[in-house]
Amino acid sequence: MNWNAFLEFTRGQLFNVALLFFIGGMVYRLVRVILLGWKRDRVPPAGSKLGGVVKTYLKGFLIWPFVPWVKRTFSRNQVMYLAGGLFHLGLFATILLGTPHMLVWKSLLGFGWPTLPLPIVDWLAAVAIAAMITLLINRRVNPVLKLISGPAEFFNWLFVFLPMVTGYIMTHHLWFPYEVLFSLHMLSVDVLLIWIPMSRISHFIFYFFSRTIHGTEFGKRAVNP
Amino acid sequence: MNEETIYQYLKKKGASRRDFLKLCGTLVGAMGLFRSPLEGSDLLDPTIFESNTIQKIAHALENKPRVPVIWLEFQDCAGCSEALTRSQSPSLIDLVLNTISVEYHETLTAAAGFQAEANKEAIMQAYHGQYVLVVEGSIPTAGNGAYCTVGGRSALELLTEAAEGAAAIIATGNCAAFGGLPKANPNPTGAKGVWEIITDKPVVNIPGCPAIPEVFTGTLAHFVVFGSLPNLDDLNRPMTFYGKTIHDRCLRRPFYEEGKFALSFDDQGAKEGWCLYKLGCKGPTTYNACASIKWDAGLSFPVQSGHPCLGCSQPDFWDGGGFYQSQSAPLNSPEITAVGAAVGAGVAVGAAMAAGSAAQKKKVEAEEKRSES
Repeated sequence: MNWNAFLEFTRGQLFNVALLFFIGGMVYRLVRVILLGWKRDRVPPAGSKLGGVVKTYLKGFLIWPFVPWVKRTFSRNQVMYLAGGLFHLGLFATILLGTPHMLVWKSLLGFGWPTLPLPIVDWLAAVAIAAMITLLINRRVNPVLKLISGPAEFFNWLFVFLPMVTGYIMTHHLWFPYEVLFSLHMLSVDVLLIWIPMSRISHFIFYFFSRTIHGTEFGKRAVNP
Repeated sequence: MNEETIYQYLKKKGASRRDFLKLCGTLVGAMGLFRSPLEGSDLLDPTIFESNTIQKIAHALENKPRVPVIWLEFQDCAGCSEALTRSQSPSLIDLVLNTISVEYHETLTAAAGFQAEANKEAIMQAYHGQYVLVVEGSIPTAGNGAYCTVGGRSALELLTEAAEGAAAIIATGNCAAFGGLPKANPNPTGAKGVWEIITDKPVVNIPGCPAIPEVFTGTLAHFVVFGSLPNLDDLNRPMTFYGKTIHDRCLRRPFYEEGKFALSFDDQGAKEGWCLYKLGCKGPTTYNACASIKWDAGLSFPVQSGHPCLGCSQPDFWDGGGFYQSQSAPLNSPEITAVGAAVGAGVAVGAAMAAGSAAQKKKVEAEEKRSES
């Protein structure tokens, strides 16, 4: 098998299998969480559930993370706040606003959107990679993080780091021919897709899920049994 | 064909010493000896490179006889031969063709039928171990090779026979190199490239659809002059010509970096000459010399003319996704039924597990109640 054939495999069959596993796996996780059970409203809520959801999103998603002194998110762990924030920014800019990635979405969803020029995406990707390395060191050094980090946390780091670093090397033609790194990039993406439902990286969906649930709880203003 | 040297042959044809040295100079260019991407090539030996390349070539041509060439066509369209004979750089092609002697070519040979075949047999015997075998077109292996026969003999048989006495084999075009169009899924004829069949002889692949004439002649010239094959990559393509991708040398590359893309074939971006990546250009993974040598005497090449690269010098390019489908996109999206099945499986397994947990919880609660009472 040459690299071209391997690329075809990782872009074709393996990607399809990984994507289906990812979709099935995430649905499974959501169903399990939803079927854990719901609290029944024993009295009509005085507040608005929807309002609570909107408020929670505004506060928890759009305001608090960017006003670090209010909840002291910054002063508690500066490295985590800065590197974590930059990592998420770089990651989302790359996978949503990088041209090659937008074209992946377009092929899957059927529609595309304008993208950023390569140099900008490139810098953001570099920042995200640097942030990931910083976060790994932080995890190995910070006493609290050391206590709560098991193999799964390091696998999470590795499986996210590999697509980013292979993609970066590929874009810059640093080492190896393009199709070799393209294959490795696709392989690492396929592994990541399979890993996500089994790991805490699924927070990219569960974050919104739990925010919504909390929002309804905060907003309804009723007595819970 | 006699044992006269190339120089003697040219002299007989009326070429002056000046013409001869010009040929030597042209050959240097054809082989890419002065082009930079001779990665890892032993031709970078400074004694060849610095001062006397032309002298060395002149010396070789003065002392070597013309190389006999047998050209076999199998499952092909003769496009590679067409490209070579209709090339717009006749001086180069003529000069290179002066150094070889095409003894058998199904499209070009004047003789036909048994005479042509008999001539081929004679040449194969007379120059056993010396001739260059050029193959154009893929070789069908299904049905005992019944899908392609010449003179009642299968392509597989003819190739094996001719390869046996060849000094070197050149597979020209994507079909001969990697199977090309005939090999495209579902490959009804069991088409294969030459190097999948002939494994005990050096096979040089000059893929392309068609192969760039200058790349073909440059490779042939290398064999004529040095008596050896040029440095090859892992797909047996000469590094001189296939060392870099189309994307690496593309004249639209700055637009790629800037994020300026043509979104259709007649929008403003297309008119401005912006990058064709979003229109499915396969340039980033395609190794060929189109962007530097170009076509029609350096006039243009597909990307310059406004069409994305199809990747025709790569294996299985017919099955590498749609020509206008962007390269970063997955080869094919999962069927909606498969997605439905995945979702269904997720729901079913999740619900079953939840039901199991609920049943267990009830059981535990009941047991707790019992133990309390």
